[in-house]
Amino acid sequence: MEGLCCGPGYASPSEAIRAPSEKLLYTIAIYTGTGIQKPDYLATVDVDPNSENYSKVIHRLEMPGIGDELHHMGWNACSSCHDDNSMSRKYLIVPGVRSNNIYVVDTATNPKAPNLYKVIQGSEIKSKTNLSGPHTVHCLGSEIIISFLGDAKGEAPGGYLHLNKDFEIIGRWENSMGDIPFSYDFWYQPRHNVMVSSEWAAPNTFMPGFDLEEVGHLKYGRRIHIWDFKKKKPIQTMYLGEDGLIPLEVKFLHNPNSSHGFCGAALSANVIHFWKSENGNWEWEKIIDIDNEPHSDWPIPIPGVMSALLVSMDDKYLYINNWLHGDMRQYNITDPHKPVLTGQVWMGGLLGKAPIVNGVKVAGGPQMYQLSLDGKRMYVTTSLFSTWDNQFYPEIRTKGGVMLMIDCDVENGGMKINNDFVVNFGDEPNGPSRCHESRYPGGDCTSDIWL
Amino acid sequence: MKKITIANRNNSTYEVKGNRPLLLELRALGLDLPYGCQYGGCITCAAKLIKGKVDQKSQVALNNRQINDGYVILCVARAKSNCTFDIGVESHDKLYRNPFIDPLAPHELKSDIATFTEIKDD
Ligand code: FES
Repeated sequence: MEGLCCGPGYASPSEAIRAPSEKLLYTIAIYTGTGIQKPDYLATVDVDPNSENYSKVIHRLEMPGIGDELHHMGWNACSSCHDDNSMSRKYLIVPGVRSNNIYVVDTATNPKAPNLYKVIQGSEIKSKTNLSGPHTVHCLGSEIIISFLGDAKGEAPGGYLHLNKDFEIIGRWENSMGDIPFSYDFWYQPRHNVMVSSEWAAPNTFMPGFDLEEVGHLKYGRRIHIWDFKKKKPIQTMYLGEDGLIPLEVKFLHNPNSSHGFCGAALSANVIHFWKSENGNWEWEKIIDIDNEPHSDWPIPIPGVMSALLVSMDDKYLYINNWLHGDMRQYNITDPHKPVLTGQVWMGGLLGKAPIVNGVKVAGGPQMYQLSLDGKRMYVTTSLFSTWDNQFYPEIRTKGGVMLMIDCDVENGGMKINNDFVVNFGDEPNGPSRCHESRYPGGDCTSDIWL
Repeated sequence: MKKITIANRNNSTYEVKGNRPLLLELRALGLDLPYGCQYGGCITCAAKLIKGKVDQKSQVALNNRQINDGYVILCVARAKSNCTFDIGVESHDKLYRNPFIDPLAPHELKSDIATFTEIKDD
């Protein structure tokens, strides 16, 4: 049988789709910015429908101190190490955006109760690499790169931290940032020798909260960058202008031969599709444009704030969120130039379409989500970033975040909120916390890249 | 020495030297305060100054409106006189605002981009 001989992950996306269903997931829960003087933590959620603890937090791994603002995370190894049987998907790498600390969590020794394996101190990262504001974690082969949004003083453009497989700092990964003004998310597609990166803002700009005027003062991004992955330097910039204000998450299709990818421009609430043309240049187009929605309390219509996007493992569906509107959408992207809306659900949001879901009053809107390898179960959380939550959804301070599950129809398209699953982080033992990104031990739809 | 009074902690008082950031001085004296970046860039440690004077020149988190509303970034601010603060998120009533409903005037932006109409006029 394929997969038994080898290292972590799966030989191909189609093998990944056939993997067993997830039984656990890890999600970040924060107290930073909430008024509760407790550390952020990694929550283990039981997602095994046959378990008596289904839909409950069964373990909480607290970080050593307060104030990290855990945010995104990634694995030490993925399918890019599938041929290396000395590697295993054992450690979650969990950066703190505000503290600059990076936590390495051992999830394999006891998957239900992961433990802290190593801490890379934020001060060491600053002194060795002049970086702060960590965001996206990807492994590449047996090594790890992490995007940082700022230098040690929190000024853009930041750069990339390179760790070896023992989580020691090698230094900066990139050879040059070129004239990139901002950093945020990145993804790579080795068969095209390409990495793509997006732009949020300098830590000193986005961490204190969102001042809309700073978009006009060019303090927020509006570009996507194409990198020569082997040479570790940017080679082409795609200027998106007003169509691409605050381009956040970037994803390639999972098929390693494909050059097609997508980026969600949060403030413009547009999906940007990019691909390599026949002459080798990269091109882009806007394929989804979410209209702003009127609101009686707002002087201008509310933008969607498309803060994340995700592609199903079979590359058939693209999922997006509108954090301020409160909806999640599913598009069929069989033709990536012409997405077709096939599903939509509502939870929370400012438009008042689904204030209560599964008995829980939802503070916030759909924000981060993770999809099972088979594409059928999507877990969604509601908090974006503590300071931004506090601006747009102040009630989240007392209500906390919530995790919901959406059943996705992979055959015919369609989404439906599952009525048996809800994790109310408002009921946490230390008080309301806010849940954010999730990962599954066996891999998910944002962890794996194929060489 | 400077006397620091925390109004929303039953007017508890602390004696600080004023030569180090208030966050460090007050935490060393046992006051539980929120913080994140610890260099003045992230706003997590903001407190509201009710009375007194601080030096917070190296903060980069606050816009001018927040400064005018009395907010102080404790991880870099040093006490220049006796001070009275409200601390923690209870003091953040004016710190966070919906940026679409309540926009900033040009002079209320962060100091590196703020503009003042008097200057524009001539
Ligand atoms: S702790 Fe970040 S500004 Fe003070």
